Amino acid sequence: MSSKVSTNQTSDGPESVDSSATRPAWIGPTVLVLATVIVVFALTQVLGHDSGKDILSFSAANATLGSFVPVGVAAVVAALVPTSQGWRVRFPLAVIASLFALFLVRMWPGASGGMTEADIAVTGAAGATESSTILSWLIGLPFAGSIAILFLPRQAPRLLKATTFLVMLGTLCASLPLLQVEMGRTYHFNQDIPWIAQFGIHYHVALDGISLWLVLLTVVITPIAAYASFGSVTTRIKDWCFSLLLLEAAMLGAFVALDLFLFYVFWELMLIPMYVMIGVWGGSNRIKAAIKFFLYTMFGSMLMLAAILYLAYTYGKITGGPTSFDYFELQRVVLPRNVQIWLFGGFAASFLIKVPMFPMHTWLPDAHTEAPTAGSVILAAVMLKMGTYGYLRFCMGLFPEASAEMAATLAGVAVLGGILYGGFCAWRQDDVKRLVAYSSVAHLGYVMLGLFAATQSSMEGAVLQMVNHGVSTGALFLLVGVIYDRRHTRMLDEFGGLAKVMPVYATLFVIATMASVGVPGLNGFTGEFLIITGTFVSNKLGHVNGIQAVGAALGVILAALYMLTAVQKMFFGPITRDENKHLSDINPRELLAVAPLILAIFMIGLAPNLLLSQIRDAVSRTLTDMNSRLEASPAPNYYRGPIKLVARRPDAPLAPTPASVTLTNPANAAP
Amino acid sequence: MALWFVLSPLLVVAGGALLLMLAEAFSKEGARGGLALGTSIVFAAGFVFSIGVWLYGVDDVPERLALAPWLVIDHFTIFFDALLCLGGGLAALLAGGYLPEYNIERGEFYMLLLFATVGAMMLAAAGDVLTVFLGLETMSIGAYALTAFRRTSPRSAEGALKYFLLGAFAAALLLYGFALLYGSTGHTDLAGIGEAVKQSGEKTPMMVIALVLVLVGLLFKVSAVPFHMWTPDAYEGAPTPGTTYMAAVVKAGAFAMLLRVLLTCFGDKGSMSWSAGWPPALAVLAVLTMTVANLIAGQQESVKRMLAYSSVAHAGYLLVGVVSTMHSQAQGVSSVLFYLLTYTVSTAGAFGALILCGRRGAEAVSYEDLAGMGRRHPPAALAFSLFLISLAGLPPTAGFFGKWFVFRAAMDSGFYVLTVIAFLNSVVAVYYYLRVLVYMYMREPPAGAPVATPMKSGYVTAALLLSAIFVLLLGIVPQSSLEMAIKAASVFGG
Repeated sequence: MSSKVSTNQTSDGPESVDSSATRPAWIGPTVLVLATVIVVFALTQVLGHDSGKDILSFSAANATLGSFVPVGVAAVVAALVPTSQGWRVRFPLAVIASLFALFLVRMWPGASGGMTEADIAVTGAAGATESSTILSWLIGLPFAGSIAILFLPRQAPRLLKATTFLVMLGTLCASLPLLQVEMGRTYHFNQDIPWIAQFGIHYHVALDGISLWLVLLTVVITPIAAYASFGSVTTRIKDWCFSLLLLEAAMLGAFVALDLFLFYVFWELMLIPMYVMIGVWGGSNRIKAAIKFFLYTMFGSMLMLAAILYLAYTYGKITGGPTSFDYFELQRVVLPRNVQIWLFGGFAASFLIKVPMFPMHTWLPDAHTEAPTAGSVILAAVMLKMGTYGYLRFCMGLFPEASAEMAATLAGVAVLGGILYGGFCAWRQDDVKRLVAYSSVAHLGYVMLGLFAATQSSMEGAVLQMVNHGVSTGALFLLVGVIYDRRHTRMLDEFGGLAKVMPVYATLFVIATMASVGVPGLNGFTGEFLIITGTFVSNKLGHVNGIQAVGAALGVILAALYMLTAVQKMFFGPITRDENKHLSDINPRELLAVAPLILAIFMIGLAPNLLLSQIRDAVSRTLTDMNSRLEASPAPNYYRGPIKLVARRPDAPLAPTPASVTLTNPANAAP
Repeated sequence: MALWFVLSPLLVVAGGALLLMLAEAFSKEGARGGLALGTSIVFAAGFVFSIGVWLYGVDDVPERLALAPWLVIDHFTIFFDALLCLGGGLAALLAGGYLPEYNIERGEFYMLLLFATVGAMMLAAAGDVLTVFLGLETMSIGAYALTAFRRTSPRSAEGALKYFLLGAFAAALLLYGFALLYGSTGHTDLAGIGEAVKQSGEKTPMMVIALVLVLVGLLFKVSAVPFHMWTPDAYEGAPTPGTTYMAAVVKAGAFAMLLRVLLTCFGDKGSMSWSAGWPPALAVLAVLTMTVANLIAGQQESVKRMLAYSSVAHAGYLLVGVVSTMHSQAQGVSSVLFYLLTYTVSTAGAFGALILCGRRGAEAVSYEDLAGMGRRHPPAALAFSLFLISLAGLPPTAGFFGKWFVFRAAMDSGFYVLTVIAFLNSVVAVYYYLRVLVYMYMREPPAGAPVATPMKSGYVTAALLLSAIFVLLLGIVPQSSLEMAIKAASVFGG
């Protein structure tokens, strides 16, 4: 029952967000909120202990009631707090808050214990009837939506926007069943269909604890970005909606694809919509930025494609059967060092450009500065994760020896070039958006450091930090977009004293900043903490792990330095410019767009275990796989011999029966 | 009867050409609107007959051997028949919109298209140096005349003259090579030459010279660097449907000839070896072709010229596939065949979209002409983007799979460096393809500049729709066409 109590305590965390945006007039509502919380707390205590001392006797009806009370409270509070807003804002806010509360209650690690047999039965049943098509729905819905957009009239922007937004919400709803499954160490929602049989190419998608949160991040961030953009993007709505939906489909596909060919297809498919978004709706230098973005990424992906081809070819040669692009099949191939290092290089080049890691990061500030707000949000929140996710899944999964060998060097680059250099660059920026872009370089430096360190806690932290960075940087970009729409400038020295004219905006901005800095209680802290502690105990970083952890910790201070300097310049001090005196505060649309992210900042910050509990086992599986390979061939003089094949991982999903074996494979038709 | 059946694709196109020529001669001036339709129908019929023969199974017709060694009718030939008819048909549809718009509608254009295609089909079937030369000249003369078709344009004349002079020179070299081959082996049929080359084991200087001359002649026709000088001028000077025809059909015919001649005559282990054969020379030329063409294409200010250089670059990618026949002929050839298919539909679509973007007196030529097209004429711009993305080789379009299979074949043959160079080249290529997108979607024409209005033509729209369907189908479900390519390539064993 204690879990129930803490559920309530955390579920009112989000409300305190809004109440922290208080003006003196809000004191009344705050008291009201506190009173309600106390009442609810008492109520849950009563309900929780109502029917007995034994957990098992906890009745299903009470459990349902117990879980709905916090949801209702969250809704009521969210509806009452923003007194300066109309009901058109309060109602959606209430819905968002209650959804978050519902999520908390459902996902609370003890909750399934508290909810007893009914819940276990549900989980068990869900596990048994785990739908294998749900991931395809997730990809298919936005994709079908983008096709549908093509057939809608250009002259009806409202219809186009509504369709886009509804399709995105539909995708969000379709992703909810993903949460019903306890992820554990295995892959779920596995779907594997032969696509191009001649070459062993499959349509293979599945989800594990790592990709789960990235998928959820995508389905949450994209509608937010779309919603926010509908206020500022006014030209060529049809093209805009088409790009957004296509981008969402491609991103989701890339996160769940477990066939390397399929992954590559989605990976490339992401490029075009993003390129168009930057190039058409971007700032004054947009074309240069768009081309730079495209060419950098394309360069990397071509190297990756070459590596994929070589890997599949090797597999075909060694099995004597058809080639395969399946992740689990290719994992079986053990390559000697001289080959492996090149293939690792091909993959890593692609992913590290996307992350982006020093010195390939130069496309990012340009792309971010020129992109429209929604483009920046999606780019920072989701697309950059593609690089870190790809590194985790493919580089570490397919080439464990090479990843371990290169980890020390790359970690040095991540600390010096990413965390510290990125931080210093951010400090020197006068453009807020550029500052946030450089801060992304620094933050993703942490994520990469966590992956290179490859300890349980550092990798958990890295995965969590991917989500965190998505949430807090997404919020920051949204908020920078707010001020840009008003002033059409982002230069720091153009602002000053904004907190006086835009108090709510200032509060939200400060919260997002603090999250980005890594203040305890907000989301950034847990991830960075786990990464740094994990780095300290890592044995993969060649005896300088301590120094690297210290460097990373210094980066936190640096983050506070550049973020707080920017906040101070923007919001505090006297109002130096006349233009700033009459700025309007954040409007309903902007508030609604940013609210879920602010709620998520508090939620993850206060209850990171919600996410970590699902991430943990997947990370531990990755590590076990990696370490078992490393132990089999001790570094640094690891495997030298011919290419060999090991057994398929026991936890890998079963491959579909190969219907295509009879087809002749030209590679083997050769004498 | 069965012989007529297996020859039907060729005969249908030849017969159709003759019929249409008669019809054109007896029709009144200004009443020739039906010619484009008629030509397209003839090509469609040729395509359908090829597919019919394919499905019937050409191997089951023993009579096909009656024409050997002059014409070899096998799966390879039939595949090319279908491909050439497809390319020719698309060019004819484009011509149906283009020629009336620019007021150069004359019946000869369609006849040239048809007869040149007959030449190309013959080239694909040719199994004897005589028929090779016959087919080549039939095809080339048609192409020369198509280039010169805009009589009032000096560029057209310049391009045609260059093309003709260099083409005649290359044909002479090829002929000289054939003569030397005959001299050293005593055969004129390709299979016989191949057998003799294989028997002789060691190469005599005469045979090496013959090989070099034949290679030069063949590479001229596929416009590989450094034999590409004529390409940009001829492509730019020709009326755009003619350019389409050259880029799609003439190139495919030339590759059919290249594969057939090289692999039949010099397909033995000795000639295919890395130390003493033609693959290294071809590999060097492939690298040169890709790199030079891509670098120059990035510098062009005319979209048509850019597409011309891009077509040269694609010849480079195709040569990578040809080089990879060294280890597995069947795999290398099948990748080239599939690439040609994807390239034909993408490039025909790209030229078609370029046609659609202009009007009489304001033909879309330079990048500036396309500025703002994405906002003012979304369908034309969308189509253009699709075909350019396919040419750039991004998924999920046909071009991606084309590149994929060629590079995969090269990778499987162990040409790692060559493959990586090819990959990096496609990054360079993306730059200039994207430039078109930049102009169409992200730039506006300067104030006061004449605003390009797209033409309206059912023919061009039909061609674009057809190409778009092919591009998407080949990009998403390439299985069946891939199987066809593999089957067609299986005539080259080993």
